[in-house]
Amino acid sequence: MNSNVIQAANLTKVYNKGGGGEVYAVHGVSLEIRKGEYVALMGASGSGKSTLMNILGCLDKPTGGSLKLDGVEVSTLTDEELATVRNRKIGFVFQSFNLLARTNALENVELPLIYSDRTDITRLAREALDSVGLADRLHHNPGELSGGQQQRVAIARALVTDPEIIFADEPTGNLDSKSSLEIMALFQQLNAKGRTIVLVTHEPDIAEYTHRIITIADGKIISDEVNRQPRVALEKIPAPASSEVSNENG
Amino acid sequence: MKTARVLKVAFKGLGRNKLRSFLMMIGIVIGITALTLIVSAGLGAQERIMERVKKFGLESMMVFAGAGREMGQPTSGQPATTLTLEDVTTIKQEVKDIADVAPFNRKGQAEVKFQEKSATTAIFGVTPSWAPVWDWDAAEGDFITDEDLASLARVCVIGPTVQKTLFGTANPIGEQVRIGNVQFEIKGIMQPKGTSPAGGDMDDRIYIPLSTLMRRVANVDYISAIKVRLRTAKDMDKTAADIKALLRERHKLAPGTPDDFTITTPTEVRKMAEKVAGTFNIFLALVAAISLISGGVVVANIMLISVNERRKEIGLRKAVGAQRKDIMLQFLYESTAVTLTGGVIGIVLGAIGAKILEAITQMPISISWESMVLGLVFSSLVGIVAGLHPAKRAAALQPIEALRA
Repeated sequence: MNSNVIQAANLTKVYNKGGGGEVYAVHGVSLEIRKGEYVALMGASGSGKSTLMNILGCLDKPTGGSLKLDGVEVSTLTDEELATVRNRKIGFVFQSFNLLARTNALENVELPLIYSDRTDITRLAREALDSVGLADRLHHNPGELSGGQQQRVAIARALVTDPEIIFADEPTGNLDSKSSLEIMALFQQLNAKGRTIVLVTHEPDIAEYTHRIITIADGKIISDEVNRQPRVALEKIPAPASSEVSNENG
Repeated sequence: MKTARVLKVAFKGLGRNKLRSFLMMIGIVIGITALTLIVSAGLGAQERIMERVKKFGLESMMVFAGAGREMGQPTSGQPATTLTLEDVTTIKQEVKDIADVAPFNRKGQAEVKFQEKSATTAIFGVTPSWAPVWDWDAAEGDFITDEDLASLARVCVIGPTVQKTLFGTANPIGEQVRIGNVQFEIKGIMQPKGTSPAGGDMDDRIYIPLSTLMRRVANVDYISAIKVRLRTAKDMDKTAADIKALLRERHKLAPGTPDDFTITTPTEVRKMAEKVAGTFNIFLALVAAISLISGGVVVANIMLISVNERRKEIGLRKAVGAQRKDIMLQFLYESTAVTLTGGVIGIVLGAIGAKILEAITQMPISISWESMVLGLVFSSLVGIVAGLHPAKRAAALQPIEALRA
C-alpha cells in the first residue's frame, strides 16, 4: 500500500517569454508527501512556491515530469478529470478566503458538495462548520464574520469533502496575529487527527508550526527538513464540540 | 440532483443582484407584453371573422350584379343592372345541389318617416325565401309572404335598429311609415343580426316585397344580388363554377370578356375580413420583435459584464470541482430564468393590456393558452440565445487565472 499522497518526479513548469526566452517557474521538483504529514512550502515571492502548489493541487498542469496524487497519475488528465480530482481529493484554503459574498457560511461550505455526488450536503456542511467551531454561525454572511471566522469557514469548506490533502496558500496572510494563531492551532488540530496539510507561506514564523519545511527558490527545492520541534499554537483553539465554542464569539 | 443544485445556485445568484436581474428583464417584459397583445388581438379577430363567416353561412354564396363587387361595399356610380329575376329562376332550376335562392334588390340610404321622426336606412326588396336562406326571420309579427309579393303589397318588416330610432320602446307593428312617398304598414320586426362581415349594421334595414320595390319604389327590372344556399358546403366550388358558366351563357358573354357579375364564397368573405385585421398586427409584431431582440442584446451584455465581475466566483467554483458544464449551465439558467420571469410578467401585463384595449377600442380580444405558450417559448429562447456566449466564456475560464483576478 502506497502511503504517499503526493509523489512528484521532476516536475517543471515553463513559460515562454516573448523572443524565444523560457522561464522556469518550477524547475525539476521531485518530492513525496506522505499521508498525515503537515508540510510547509516556503519561499520568497516569485520563488515558484505558488506555481508548485497550483500544480500539486491540480489547479494547473505541469509542462514536464510526473505527478501522482493518491497513487493516480494526474499530469496527463484533462481539465474535466482534474476538476473531479480537485472535487474528491483536494481541499483549498486561500489567503483572501474566497468566500462567496452575500452567501451564508453554510452555503459557502456546501459549495464543493454541489459539484459532488453527495446528497446529504447540508448535514456534511454543518458537521464541517461544527469541526472548526462555527456551529453557531451557520447563517451568517461573510460580512458578518471576523477575518479569523471567515478563514475558518474557508477551512470548513476545504474539509467538507473529506479530501486526501489540504492546500493552504498563505492562510494567515490577511489576518492579525491573534487570528493567525487561531488558524495555526486549527491546522495543528486537524493534522493531529490525521489530515495531510500543505501550507504555502513566505513567513518562516508560520512555517515553524509545521513538521516539515520545504524551501523553494528559483523553482527548485533548496532544502527539505524535518522540523523536530514545531511551534505549538496553544489554546484559543475553538473546540470541535459546538457547545464549548461560545467563548469565541464576538 | 446536481442539476437541481446548480439551478438553485443560479436562482440565488439572481436574487443577490436584484437590480441587475430587473434591468435584464425589462426588454423581455415589453417584448412579451407586445407579443401577448398581438396574439390575443389576432385570435380575437380570427374568432370574430369565423363568427361572421358562420353568420353568413358556410354553405352559402353570393352572386352580385356587376363585375368586381365586394360584399357590403357601397355601389359607386351607376348600379349594376346585369342580374334579372329570370337569372334567378334559371339558376334555381338548372344548377344542381341548390337548396334555395334569395334574390334581393337593395336601395341604399332612403329616408323613412314616422310622424315627425325620420331615419335614413337601407331598403331591401326581398322574397319569402330570404328567411330560410339567410336563416333570418321576423322576431315579432310576420315576414314578407308570397301573397305580399304577388299583390305588390305595401308592407314592411323593420330591423331592430330602425325600430329603436323611430319607435323607441313602443310596439311598431301595425303602424304606418313613409318610404319616399309611399306609405307602408309595418308587419314585423326582424331578429337582431349584429355586424356584417364588412362591419355594417345589419339591423339598420327595412325589408319590403321585392316586387313592390321594383315596381312601386325604384321602378327597375333588375336585382342587386342573389344569395344561394347549397345543400352541403362541400359542393361550393363546383356549384360556383356551374352558376358562373350558366350566367355567362345567359348574358351571352364571349370567351375572354370579363364576367358582368361577381360570385363570393365564404372563403372570400373570410379573406376580406382578415385583410381588415392585418395592419394592426404587423405593427405590434414589429414592436414585439424589436423589443425582444434588443432585450436579448441587453441580457447578453449584462451577462457578459456579470461573468467578468464574477471571475473570482467562477474560479473558486472550478477550484472546488465544478466542471465546465456546471458553470455553463449556471449562467444559462441565470439568463433563462431572467427572461422566463420577464416572459411571465409580460404575459400578465399583455393580458391586462388586452383587456384594457378591448374596453377602449371594442376590438375583439381573445386571451388564450396559445399566446401564453408562445410567450414562454419566446422568452426562454431569448434567454438561451443571449446567455450562450457569456456562459461559454465563463465556462472556459481557467481556475488559477480566475482566482488571481
